[in-house]
Amino acid sequence: MKLFIGQILPYFTVTIFILGMIYRLGRWAGAQIVHNITLSPWPQTKGQAALRVGTEAFLFRNLFIYDKALWAGALLMHFALLNVLIGHLVGFAFFGTQFALIPGLGITTELSKAMSDCFGSIFGIVLFVTLLYLLYRRLAKEAAKLVTKPSDNLWLLYLLVLVGIGNIMRFVPNYHIDYVLVHDYVTALILFCPVVHMELLNNGFFLVHLLLVQILLIVFPFSKLMHVFGMFAERYIVNRVYHDPAPGLPNVDVSAARQAELGIPDGILQGRGYK
Amino acid sequence: MPEYKGMVQPARASITELRKIHIEPVPDELKPGKAVEYLDQLRKKFRSFVLAMESCTKCGLCAENCHTYLGTRDPNNIPTNRAELIRKIYKRYFTLEGRWFGKLVGAEDISLDVLEQWYSYFYQCSQCRRCAHVCPFGIDTCEVTFIGRQLLHWLGITPKLHSTTGAAMEKTGNHSALPKPGIVDTLEFMSEEIRDEFGVEVEFPVDKPGADIMYIPSSADFLLNPYTLMGAGMFFAYIGANWTIPSTVTEAGNFGFLFDQYSTQRGNVMRLLNAAQELGVKKIVWGECGHGWRAAKMYIPTLADRPLRWPITHIHDEVANLIRNKELKLDPLQNSKPVTLHDPCNYVRACGLNENMRVIMNACVTDFREMNPHGADNFCCGGGAAILFDDPEMYQRRIMFSKKKAEQVRATGVGEDGDGILCAPCSICKAQLYPMVEEHNLGVEVKGLIDLVGRSLVWK
Ligand code: HEM
Ligand code: SF4
Ligand code: SF4
Ligand code: SF4
Repeated sequence: MKLFIGQILPYFTVTIFILGMIYRLGRWAGAQIVHNITLSPWPQTKGQAALRVGTEAFLFRNLFIYDKALWAGALLMHFALLNVLIGHLVGFAFFGTQFALIPGLGITTELSKAMSDCFGSIFGIVLFVTLLYLLYRRLAKEAAKLVTKPSDNLWLLYLLVLVGIGNIMRFVPNYHIDYVLVHDYVTALILFCPVVHMELLNNGFFLVHLLLVQILLIVFPFSKLMHVFGMFAERYIVNRVYHDPAPGLPNVDVSAARQAELGIPDGILQGRGYK
Repeated sequence: MPEYKGMVQPARASITELRKIHIEPVPDELKPGKAVEYLDQLRKKFRSFVLAMESCTKCGLCAENCHTYLGTRDPNNIPTNRAELIRKIYKRYFTLEGRWFGKLVGAEDISLDVLEQWYSYFYQCSQCRRCAHVCPFGIDTCEVTFIGRQLLHWLGITPKLHSTTGAAMEKTGNHSALPKPGIVDTLEFMSEEIRDEFGVEVEFPVDKPGADIMYIPSSADFLLNPYTLMGAGMFFAYIGANWTIPSTVTEAGNFGFLFDQYSTQRGNVMRLLNAAQELGVKKIVWGECGHGWRAAKMYIPTLADRPLRWPITHIHDEVANLIRNKELKLDPLQNSKPVTLHDPCNYVRACGLNENMRVIMNACVTDFREMNPHGADNFCCGGGAAILFDDPEMYQRRIMFSKKKAEQVRATGVGEDGDGILCAPCSICKAQLYPMVEEHNLGVEVKGLIDLVGRSLVWK
């Protein structure tokens, strides 16, 4: 088991993830933007278009306008998720000392570790709670219920378990895992060194967490989670710069026409004596 | 067949009618197989469709934002569920997850029943794009409806209304099957009406060689909305334009856009460009028609088979421009009844006409009241994409689809004294709303925007 999950599977995971992404994004790229279907009112500059897409991507603008509750839940969930993902990478690389590395803030290594712990805990909990809320919403709210497929609920459950186990490792001292161990593990994997002997893999929670993450990555390119990229791809089609063709009618001089009293009976009749 | 297993459906075109728009229906037993084949072809072409199929998170936000769901509470009228009717087939045949985990992700085998579902629900969608406007990702279910209708059309499943209109366009150059003599007569009659009612001389030049401007009216303006065409004529006469109406294209609409974006829509585009070339005009100006304007403004550039030599603008753009330049003298007192504006979806979500309509409105009426929501946020009238079916079942649906609109109009209070005006500057909106304001007892009269302009021009 340790051999499979800890040593062999990771290489498969990474390969399938990369190939899967290429396949899925390639499938999108293969189809064309046939007609101009940009939504009006249009951005007038590339900057405005980027701003529009940016506010959708990072602030969930439309959710905010049309459904505040969903906005709060979804934004918090994604924000926590983003931080947890970054936290994983940075944590394993710098063991929690990352904040001390920012020049000019005067943060000590001790403080940085404490901060890292604190943020990790907060976002771990927020992520779990907001995922619960989103699941509750799917089961309770009429409109959400009517559009939900089993896989939508399963994804939320899956992430809840994944995040739940992560939280257990963080909050239950017996199962706690030191960053250093993970750092060594990942480094060894990257260098294609054997890792099966590592003490880390004896932690059952870690092993399951690792397995779930890998399954997630394998399935990711074939799942609804691709909306991260889908959103940019779609907005690239519907939020484009467009300039109206200039108004103005050829050979029309309104003041001359009015002076000639065109259209007024007994005046100069339309089309005659006037060009 | 207005109902199929509990689903409402519009009456279908017969084989003869289909042949008039060059379709040879696929026999029933071959339909499911062909549907998958055509779907494969279409999905490889349209990225907007692929993304609608593949990046929806099922957040459900679009549900309460589609007037068809609001009016019927039919779950299949939720935009993402409407798309799901095709998505379940798409998943089943074109995705790994659908092939391996069918039920889990909601994939389903193709069958005649599924095609009947498509026919029912893609012809309840008005292609208004409010779903795209609100979706956090901008997913455009209208694109899915386009593909669904295209596919059905290729199979030989097309509403009678759409196919006969398409055929009339090919034959006469307009949807109302008006021949040239009828057009000329009607226009002469309008000149007389204008002389009697407004006391001014307005000519409607048809096929005038050497004209600078080619005006494309909606053919409904010859019969149902005469004041819109009269308003346009008065506007052109007022500014002294050298304009003409081409007898070969007396139609601002393009039903091809709604059900056959390949052959029918392109055919109409080429017909227009031929007319412009023959008359030697310098600019094309479009009349009041929502889908027609979107089809012209946004699709002609990608559908024309030759370089485009004529700028095309909407008559609202031109009127608003002259108002901004203070070249038109308008007297708002001529329109002193309370007015509210129904924003045609295609104008505000696809063609950017939002502001210009308000510039015009504010210049020619005294009591303008916005509905809530308005502009790009406004709801559809419920008749969009020409789902103006008269079969009793579909007509009932049209009443339900316009429920939201009725609430909005009522909330403005313009009809309280029974003399309000509901300005709806699109032929399909007008055709939908004429009966609907009666059904919902709104106390308003439906008018176009150019009607109001014509009425308020100060000639002397
Ligand atoms: C810029 C990137 C992203 C944007 C703009 C975005 C946006 C959204 C939006 C608007 C929703 C719908 C609201 C909801 O149902 O909660 C959603 C749902 C969801 N997102 Fe993202 N997302 C992004 C990245 C990600 C990533 C990387 C994941 C990775 C796991 C993810 C996981 C989910 C999940 C699981 C749901 C479904 C929630 C539910 O079922 O209610 N998102 N996303
Ligand atoms: S709003 Fe967009 S993402 Fe949400 S369910 Fe509707 S189509 Fe899908
Ligand atoms: S285009 Fe309009 S009618 Fe059609 S699904 Fe979207 S919101 Fe509903
Ligand atoms: S008919 Fe009018 S309101 Fe309705 S979809 Fe067209 S433009 Fe929209």
